[in-house]
Amino acid sequence: MSPQHPLCRAIEPDLLSVAAGEAETAAAGRVEAHVATCGLCREELANYRALEGMMDTLRRAPLRDDDATLARAQLASRLSDLRSRLVGFGIFPSPLGRILIGRSEQGVALVQYLPADGALSAHVRRLLGEDAVEDLTATEGLRAELVDYLEGRRARLDWPLDLRRMRSDFQRRVLEATAALPYGAVTSYAGIAARIGAPSAVRPVAQALRWNPLPIVIPCHRVIGGSGALTGYAGRRVELKQRLLAVEGVKTVAARNDFKVDREAMYTMVTGDREYCVPTCGSLLSKPLSELTLFGTRDRAEAAGFAPCTSCRPDLHPLPA
Amino acid sequence: MGRVMAEDAFEAVVGAHHAEIRRYLLRITARGSDADDLSQETFLRAFRAYRALPPGSNVRAWLFTIATNLGRNHFRAQGRRRRAYAAAAMEMRPDAPDRTDGHVMVEEARDRLERAVGELPGKQRLAFIMRKMHELEYAEIGASLSCSEESARAHVFQALRKVRRSLDGHLPLEMESRS
Repeated sequence: MSPQHPLCRAIEPDLLSVAAGEAETAAAGRVEAHVATCGLCREELANYRALEGMMDTLRRAPLRDDDATLARAQLASRLSDLRSRLVGFGIFPSPLGRILIGRSEQGVALVQYLPADGALSAHVRRLLGEDAVEDLTATEGLRAELVDYLEGRRARLDWPLDLRRMRSDFQRRVLEATAALPYGAVTSYAGIAARIGAPSAVRPVAQALRWNPLPIVIPCHRVIGGSGALTGYAGRRVELKQRLLAVEGVKTVAARNDFKVDREAMYTMVTGDREYCVPTCGSLLSKPLSELTLFGTRDRAEAAGFAPCTSCRPDLHPLPA
Repeated sequence: MGRVMAEDAFEAVVGAHHAEIRRYLLRITARGSDADDLSQETFLRAFRAYRALPPGSNVRAWLFTIATNLGRNHFRAQGRRRRAYAAAAMEMRPDAPDRTDGHVMVEEARDRLERAVGELPGKQRLAFIMRKMHELEYAEIGASLSCSEESARAHVFQALRKVRRSLDGHLPLEMESRS
């Protein structure tokens, strides 16, 4: 090939194609005709063929460090971690408004009340994680059970939970103690603090419950202020707390911007005891709520495994309905 | 339960392509540890995007695209390409001469070839490696490099010319073609 000659320059791309074995028939013909008369290009074609041969050899030659075992094993472990974190979520209408349920491979990871419309808030998106995908199939069964629960047809949500969105070990302990509150029971923030052995940590308990990633499922609505006031829920939506408690048989009365549990209308037991009483039994009414667990109905107390007190006999002298 | 199926299918994708993608990344980074990291990253990204991939897509070419982008970011961010090649020129000498297809490649020529490929400018080198070492179609190479099929072909041809020039005088010519 003479670099100066325009014919040689023009044939070069075809020549490279022929050497690589990827030329179309027409190009191959052009090259054949050209190299029949041009010795330099004939030699160059041979050079390129030789080069292709070298590359062919190189392609098939073993590579140094060509051991994917370690990378493959690390990939498997990272993929499995990613999968277990990956949240599939659904957004549904419910008796309490629009609700998001998210689940991972491990279990239900997130329940959030959403505003009536609009996009997901940054907070919810952060909780979901960047890889979350909408997955109505994976959450439909949960939705149906949740609606049954909210409409009083079901008293338990026996869902496997993914608790990796806990902010701290403290929050985990608070939520575990809260999860142990029976259906239809209430206690106070101080009561939860006492249950986890941190009786002075009332405000931290309230904070931990405020950031409960799984409201309803972990029943933070069963935790109220020491005065009996509901005090707060889902931002400023204390009416949701009142409705959840009403479904469970806990009666409340309206108070200023809030609702209040009337202790005189609640079956009462000292936390840790096995028997429930009417509130006037012994000196129960004078005890702080932090030491007590209250039930709206006898049925709820008995469903939770407690027996009527043998002194005040709530079974014989029930509270007025 | 579509998700479960998608995940099983992804296991098959890893099984079918991980070794080759790592080999490609090893060729472009010349470092086993970089190839390990980038191949993992390639498949983690692929996993995230997999369910959005239209059915019938060319998964292999798609993985090469992800790996190519990661490789380019890697060089861009680290500015380490030159250093990698300085090291690679020492490291990449084959342990033993290759005799796989019956003819022994002169070690020096092979060394020169590897060095010549290493010295190619970014896109030409990637296009060249994808074409000559992994036999991708030009359209697939174009998709990986965000350019047209024709540009991809031009990159490979430019690379070929440069490699051929740097091997001047070291090509084992076939005697019959000289006649």
